[in-house]
Amino acid sequence: MIQFFHVYKAYPGDPPVLQDINLNVEKGEFVFLTGPSGAGKTTLLKLIFCGEKATKGQILVGGRNIARIRESAVPYLRRNIGVVFQDFKLLPHRSVADNVGFTLDVLGVPRAEGREKVRRMLKLVGLEHKADALPLRLSGGEQQRVVIARALVNDPTILLADEPTGNLDPALTVEIMDLLTQVNIRGTTVVVATHDATLLARYQKRTVRLERGQIVSDEDGVKAARRMAV
Amino acid sequence: MSALAKTAYFWRSAAGGLRHSPFVHFIAVSTIAIALFAAGLARGASRVVDNLLSSLGGEVEVTVYLAPELGEDEVHGVHERVQQLHVGDVTVVPPEAALVRLRRELGDLGEALAELPENPLPATLEVRVPAERRSPEALRTLAKELRAQPGVTAVDYGEAAVERLSAIARALRFGALVAFLVVLGTTIIIVAATLQLAIYSRREEIEIQKLVGATDRFVKAPFLLEGLLQGLLGAGLALLGLWTFGRVLGPTLGSLFAFLLGPGVSTAWVEPRTALELVAAGCGLGLGGSFVAVGRFLRV
Ligand SMILES: Nc1ncnc2c1ncn2[C@@H]1O[C@H](COP(=O)(O)OP(=O)(O)O)[C@@H](O)[C@H]1O
Ligand SMILES: [Mg+2]
Repeated sequence: MIQFFHVYKAYPGDPPVLQDINLNVEKGEFVFLTGPSGAGKTTLLKLIFCGEKATKGQILVGGRNIARIRESAVPYLRRNIGVVFQDFKLLPHRSVADNVGFTLDVLGVPRAEGREKVRRMLKLVGLEHKADALPLRLSGGEQQRVVIARALVNDPTILLADEPTGNLDPALTVEIMDLLTQVNIRGTTVVVATHDATLLARYQKRTVRLERGQIVSDEDGVKAARRMAV
Repeated sequence: MSALAKTAYFWRSAAGGLRHSPFVHFIAVSTIAIALFAAGLARGASRVVDNLLSSLGGEVEVTVYLAPELGEDEVHGVHERVQQLHVGDVTVVPPEAALVRLRRELGDLGEALAELPENPLPATLEVRVPAERRSPEALRTLAKELRAQPGVTAVDYGEAAVERLSAIARALRFGALVAFLVVLGTTIIIVAATLQLAIYSRREEIEIQKLVGATDRFVKAPFLLEGLLQGLLGAGLALLGLWTFGRVLGPTLGSLFAFLLGPGVSTAWVEPRTALELVAAGCGLGLGGSFVAVGRFLRV
């Protein structure tokens, strides 16, 4: 589903942020992308949804080489990828429901149909009662869940989540992770970037570790579980 | 279905833009309105000038002076030849009739003419030129043709007046064109500037739209629509202004110009045709400005 071949990324004027990344994520997989802050996790996710362009190397997403993709094809790629941004990117002056429905507006989903989807999505993340609230009136955890609802409302084939539990207390963290797991079980490929070791310990999924822009380890769930058990 | 939903979204978004920053849009709309109002006035004024020209043209009569030594038969010969040119009604004014007319026109002074030993006036032909031949160029050609006829000594058609009037009309038209271009440019710049602000104030929304898969066209459409709405509102205001102007000042101006225009000449300031043109111009200005803004400031 997602394949990286010798991918490099450097922001202009800086040393490379990602170096020689090789990665293969199968359809329906659940992958943790971990590593210290500044390791390049966010940048790697951005490459997947064309938020940034690789400096070198090839990236295949759903069989498409996005290193060579035309600018006009990017929107259609993004419609299949739900993204939970680290900095949320919620519109402060729009209601929760409008923020979640934003994705559907862009796709031209008729309003009534969209409202119904939004309602179901908000129910899933437990924010039904906040549909008309403004994002800034919500707690960090609630905002986080709005962002997840927006990413999922269009049934994407890939879900990228950048520190989705970064702002949550332990109870909510479990809730959100259960939600992401459910989504994964329904068939969506999920990549979660996190620096939270307790999350890795609890969920024991395939874990790709980045350090200073390089993949230093890539353990499958079984291996991860065995290491945790030791 | 999807197209309909998108269209509805664009309208909501554009209307939201107008509501979101009313002052900025007020400026753009007023600029368009003022430009179109001025254009409408100029249009009305040029119609007045045109009417003036054609009503003056109504008096255009070409006088053809014949050689004094021509006898009556020869005068008839020239008359027939001129008639065959098909240049309008041609009447012969024999020397006697010309003298009588001159005496009448001179009044008391005319008595002196009775003392003349013989009639010094030549026979003339008077040509009443039909409306479609009254342009300065057509008159000039006609005069040349008439002068070329044997037996014709001179041709007179109020050359100077006709030439001057048409020069004035030309200058007016040119001035209006220059003013129009200047106003066009400024208006488009102002509309573009307001939309630049609109784009700037919605940059967050635009960024997120793109991240969730909006195409360039989808991002741009609401701004183009916003420009179009500005243009329509501006045109509406301008029409309202012109209509009010016509209602308040129309009768006064009408009576002022009545002696020049003659009866039955329209003094309406807002004709359906003008209204359509103004609306089209408003849409053009609004869309033009938003195209400039979207092209320059919406890097998608
Ligand atoms: N837009 C950018 N321009 C320049 N440098 C950047 C940009 N975004 C990230 N970086 C740099 O890239 C490195 C990796 O950042 P990031 O991918 O955000 O790491 P992580 O998400 O693992 O914390 C950091 O050193 C950061 O300063
Ligand atoms: Mg990060």
